[in-house]
Order: sequence, then C-alpha cells, then structure tokens
Amino acid sequence: MLSLNRRGLLAGAAALGAAALIAGAPAKAAEPIKVGFSMALTGGLAGAGKSALIAMQIWEKDTNAAGGLLGRPVKLIYYDDQTNAATVPGIYTKLLDVDKVDLVVSGYGTNLIAPAMPIMMQRNLTFIALFGLAVNDKFNYDRYFQILPAGPKPITDWSRGFFELAMEQDPKPKTIALVGADAEFAKNAVKGARIHAKNYGLEIVYDGSYHPKTPDFTPIVRAIQARKPDVVYVGSYPPDSVGMVKAATEIGLKTKLFGGGMVGLQYATIMTALGPKLNGIVNYDFWVPEPTLNFEGVEAFLAKYQAAAKGKGVDPLGYYLPTYAHAYLEILGQAVKATNSLDHGKLAEHMRATTYDTVVGKVKFAPNGEWAKTRTLMVQYQDIKDNELDTFAKAGTRVVLYPKEWASGKIRYPYTEAK
Amino acid sequence: MTRFWIGAVAVIAAGLLLAMTDIIANSFWFFAAYVVLQYVVLATAWNIMGGYMGYVNFGSAGFFAIGAYTAIVMYNLIKAPLLVMIPLSGVVCGLMGLGMGYLTLRLRGVYFAIGTLALAVVLETLMVNWDYVGGATGAYVIRPREMEPFGDYVKFLTFVMLVLAVIAVAAARWVERAKFGRGLHAIRDDELAAECAGIPTLRLKLIATTLSGFLMGVAGAPFPLYVGFVEPVSAFNLAYAVNAIAMPMIGGTTMWAGPVIGALLLGTAQQIANVTISSELNLLIVGLVLVLFVTLAPEGIVGLVRKYFGRGR
Repeated sequence: MLSLNRRGLLAGAAALGAAALIAGAPAKAAEPIKVGFSMALTGGLAGAGKSALIAMQIWEKDTNAAGGLLGRPVKLIYYDDQTNAATVPGIYTKLLDVDKVDLVVSGYGTNLIAPAMPIMMQRNLTFIALFGLAVNDKFNYDRYFQILPAGPKPITDWSRGFFELAMEQDPKPKTIALVGADAEFAKNAVKGARIHAKNYGLEIVYDGSYHPKTPDFTPIVRAIQARKPDVVYVGSYPPDSVGMVKAATEIGLKTKLFGGGMVGLQYATIMTALGPKLNGIVNYDFWVPEPTLNFEGVEAFLAKYQAAAKGKGVDPLGYYLPTYAHAYLEILGQAVKATNSLDHGKLAEHMRATTYDTVVGKVKFAPNGEWAKTRTLMVQYQDIKDNELDTFAKAGTRVVLYPKEWASGKIRYPYTEAK
Repeated sequence: MTRFWIGAVAVIAAGLLLAMTDIIANSFWFFAAYVVLQYVVLATAWNIMGGYMGYVNFGSAGFFAIGAYTAIVMYNLIKAPLLVMIPLSGVVCGLMGLGMGYLTLRLRGVYFAIGTLALAVVLETLMVNWDYVGGATGAYVIRPREMEPFGDYVKFLTFVMLVLAVIAVAAARWVERAKFGRGLHAIRDDELAAECAGIPTLRLKLIATTLSGFLMGVAGAPFPLYVGFVEPVSAFNLAYAVNAIAMPMIGGTTMWAGPVIGALLLGTAQQIANVTISSELNLLIVGLVLVLFVTLAPEGIVGLVRKYFGRGR
C-alpha cells in the first residue's frame, strides 16, 4: 500500500516544481499566438459559420507551415455562439480573461459582431469583423475593421451598383418596386435602395416587407406584378430568396431588372437547386470565378477549401464567405508581421494606413473601418442550362457587371428577355 | 430578522464586496453570473404563475423582451440610467401581465398556455415593425465603460441583477407564505372549488400575473446594456421561454427555493456548456434534464429532498 508522509510530499512537490521549471522554459518560447473568436456553428447561420471556420483553419495551418507569426505558431481558439447574440459577450470575456488570447476577430454577421463591440472598446482591442453591415456607424470605434466589401457608406454603397446599372439602360427605368424581409440585413438593404430610388427620381410603386418565415411568395410577386414596375429590388435571406425566385419564375414576372440584395443566391446548394431559374437576375456578390477576379492565391485557397469541405455539409465551392474569412485573418497576420508586434495600437495604425494583398484582392480600409471603396459586385446569371455544380464553378455563368474595373461581360436587358 | 433575511443581506453584501473589489479579477465570471442571475429572476417570476397558481406561461420571452425594449425606449428618449429603466420596464410588463390576467377569464389550462405563446408572437411582430426601437434592424445601446465605485460596468450590472434576484425571491417567498399564496394554491388545485369557497379568484389571478409580469420585465431591463445590441430574434429567443419553465420544473415548483436551485444548476451548466462542449447542446441538456425530472421526480429537486430527508422548508 502506498503511504506518504509530509517529508515525502514536500520532496515530491519540489521535484515536480523543478521539472515544471525546466520544462517550462522552452514551452514559453514556443507558446502560440492565440486568435480568439466566436462563430455560429449551430443555429440559423451554422452553415455559413462552419464554412468560414474551415477557411480560417486553412489559414492557421498554412501560417504555421510557413513558420508562424513572430516565430511562434498561431492557434485559433473559438466557441460556438449558437447564432445567439446573448452568448457573445460571455464568449469574448472568456477568450480574453480565461484563455488569454492575444488577438481577436469577430464571428459571422452583424448581430453577432455588435455585442462584442463594447468589450473591444473597453479594452482598446483591434477588432476585424466578418460581414457586418454598418456596425461602426453607432460605435465610431477607430480600431474596428470590417472585411465585407460594402464600402465606406455601407447602407447605400451596398446597392449603388444595382442602381447605376439600372440608370445606364435604354430606355431608362421609371418605376421601382422595393420588397424585403423584416430582418436586419434585408431592412438595411431596402433602406439603401430607397435612398437611391429617390435620388434617381424613380417612382416607388411598391414598398413592402414580409415576415422572414413567409412560406409562399406568389401573392407578394403577384402584388408587385400588378404595379408593373420597371425595376424590382429585393432584400432577402436564403429561404425567401429561393421563394422569391421560384414565384417570379412561376408567375412570369415582367420587369426590366430583378434582383439586388438577395442573400443565398451565392450559395452553391441554392444555385444548383434553382439552376436556369436564375438566368437574368442581377444580384450582389463578393467573389465569382471570373477571369477579372482571379487574384493571387485564390485558386490555391479554393482548392484546399473544396477538399476540406467535402462531406461536411457546407458550401462546397467556398466563393462567398470562406474567401473573406481567410482574407480577414490574412490581414491580421500581415499586420502582425509588418509591425513585428501584438500591440493593438500598432496593429490598428498599420491597418488604417496599409493596402493589403489577400485572396480577395487588395483591401484598403476607410477611416470608419469599412472598405475605402465599395467592391460589392453586381453579377448577372447568364447561360445557365442545368443544375450541375460544375456549371457554377466555371466562368461565364455569373458575369460581373459592376464595378466597371472588374466587369467581365455585358448586361442582358431587360430581365424578361434575359431569362 | 429571520434566517432568510440574514441570508439575503449576506448574499448582497458578498456580491457587493466581489463587485467592488478585484478579488475576482476575471470579468468572465461576472458575465456568466449575470446570465445565471437573470434566469433566477425569470424562473422565480414564472413560478409565481406556473408553480403557485397552475397557469403555464409560454410567453416569458415576450415579457423579458418587452422589458428590454422599454429600456431601449427610455434610452432613446432621455438616455435614462439603468436604475430608471428597471422600474419602468417592470411597470410596463406588470401592466401587460395584468392584461394577460384578464385572459384567464376565458382561457384556462392548455388554452391559456397557447394564448401566452401567441401573445409573445404578437409582441415580437410589433417590435419588428416599430422602427423607433430599431425594428427588425436592431437597436444599439452603448453602455458606459465604467461605473463608480464598481469599475467595470458589467460588475455593476451583475450586482444589480443579484439585487433583483434577491428581490424576486423575497417576493416569491412572501407570496408563498401569505394568505394570497394560499389562495393561489387553491386556484391551482381546483379553481371552481376555490371560487365556491369564497376566494376572490379573479383578483388573486390579476395580482399574480401582474407581479409575475413585473419581475420578468425587470429581468429584461438590463439586457440591452449587457448585450449592447438588441434585435427581435435575440430578445424573443426561445431559450428564455424554455428556461423559465424548465428551471422551476427541475428545481421544484412548490416553494421559492425550487426555481432558484433550478436556475443556479441549469444556468451554470449552460454557461459551462457554452464554452466547453461548445454547441447548442445546452438546450438539449435542458430538454433531457426536464424529461428526466418530469418523469422521475415531478416535484423537482425540492420534492426529492422532502421525500428523502423529510424536510424542505
């Protein structure tokens, strides 16, 4: 039977302490740089959140393979925010106070970025956000940066391209219908569109919203059709985007330009489900496999992503969110390397002044932390003849129309003929 | 001074000491404690109606959210401080509870429960369409960085929630022991018989629903300052309604300690699950534990203690 007396215990403790000291020295030198964040791995945004996480893990692996940052490996520390804003404050304090992370980035989406902001501001941390819309308009925090390429005035920059394209057409549209879900992004998208419509002198003949869980969009599209608008601008989330496109196809919506701010039409699963029904729609996007957007490193990243995403039930192509989830960590890594520091003041200063090369191209931030210039693409779905995944992985099915410097084709107008 | 009040004062004093000093330097524990204490208030408020009176309220999230939205209105109107927001949110939700009390004239049992669920849906739709409080887009409430003498504002928030929890529990204990509470028990057991025995059932029900609504509103008032951004989906989250029911059921619905025990156990388990197994599993935990207790120990932990130790009061 094992027996321990006090002397034995003391000797054991001393030996353990010495061993810890000896082992601790080299361990300290190789201690990883911890990057903390919350991510929606369950709940409504789980599909997108999981795909973003895969992209971030690719960055982690590649960075470590290249020697890490400041001679130390990097380690991602994350918790599932369950797509629930109420969990976010607790998660970030856990990351900062218990896990002692060195750097922080946001989870996915405005609703899950905003609750972290007071904590970031209180501790003067540099915070790069993943797809938040106009979060900093209220906080005015000078260490906030945001990777969504909406532009310095997110609310209006978001739909700027759609309206510039509309007003270039001949004959010019005169009337518009605005429709959107009663939810955060859709409301903001339609709000921006309303401002553009007024500025361009378009008569708003329909301005309606619907419950996000609306099961049938046929009555809504019929009501829009009855007003005969030249342009139909939609701000919608994935399920309603699908419903809206299906209803427009079934009814045979007669309008000149249709689309705008429909979330979900960028996802491979939805594109393959809708197939040719997408033809003619002009909608926002952030990255598509067009030759004009073939930035350095993007193909290699996508190859890794697509291999990693197989069988995980997430977006198999990874164009929409994963590219940007990789890019915001690239920016963080480049800033750490350039400043040779983990000092948040220095990192923020560098981010304010630098143009970064990433898999989504060059990124330069405006003083409010948004992109200095909008690169919200307007793409038109063209020549889609089937529902195969490969169709959407090749150039020519989502032609970039706006901004002009990235254009890869010409608009087919009006929608009734383009479809 | 009874043991309860000595305990309550001791809990508040301990909370004050912890919040005003750096004994706990790690602010994560304050964030976690805030959520658990918030559930103590919600569960206790639910139990006044559901446990003592036998009227099941599925609309707790609606009351909680209206408490939060009242605070947002106050913030938008006059940048009201928290200590003004809390009573006002309580009054608004108390009045809403009074309205719900009148529902009991026509609805009982499962129909009343469905009515409360519908009430939450109606309230959510109203908030989604009310732009002054952010509508579907959401509203930002920027909390002060610090609050003297607490330092970090979240320490102050947590302390306030602790005081609210003590007040809620004291109110529940008063209901339980007063003649009023015995009237509620009579309603729970057989409302018709209670009416025949001369108990003013409607008046008692109205007082109970008002008090329950008041406490739920009070629980929601600090939420905008805690989270910083409120939109209908998170404010009306199903988790509030589920937890408000599950916690008293697990702790025991017959006495004030039941919801407190349930909230402390389940709330803490959920906070740990959030940052360990890291998934929506925490709702699964609630579901499983609830099924276990409802089938094996319908009187909750308090009932088990009474059964095996012959005491509980």
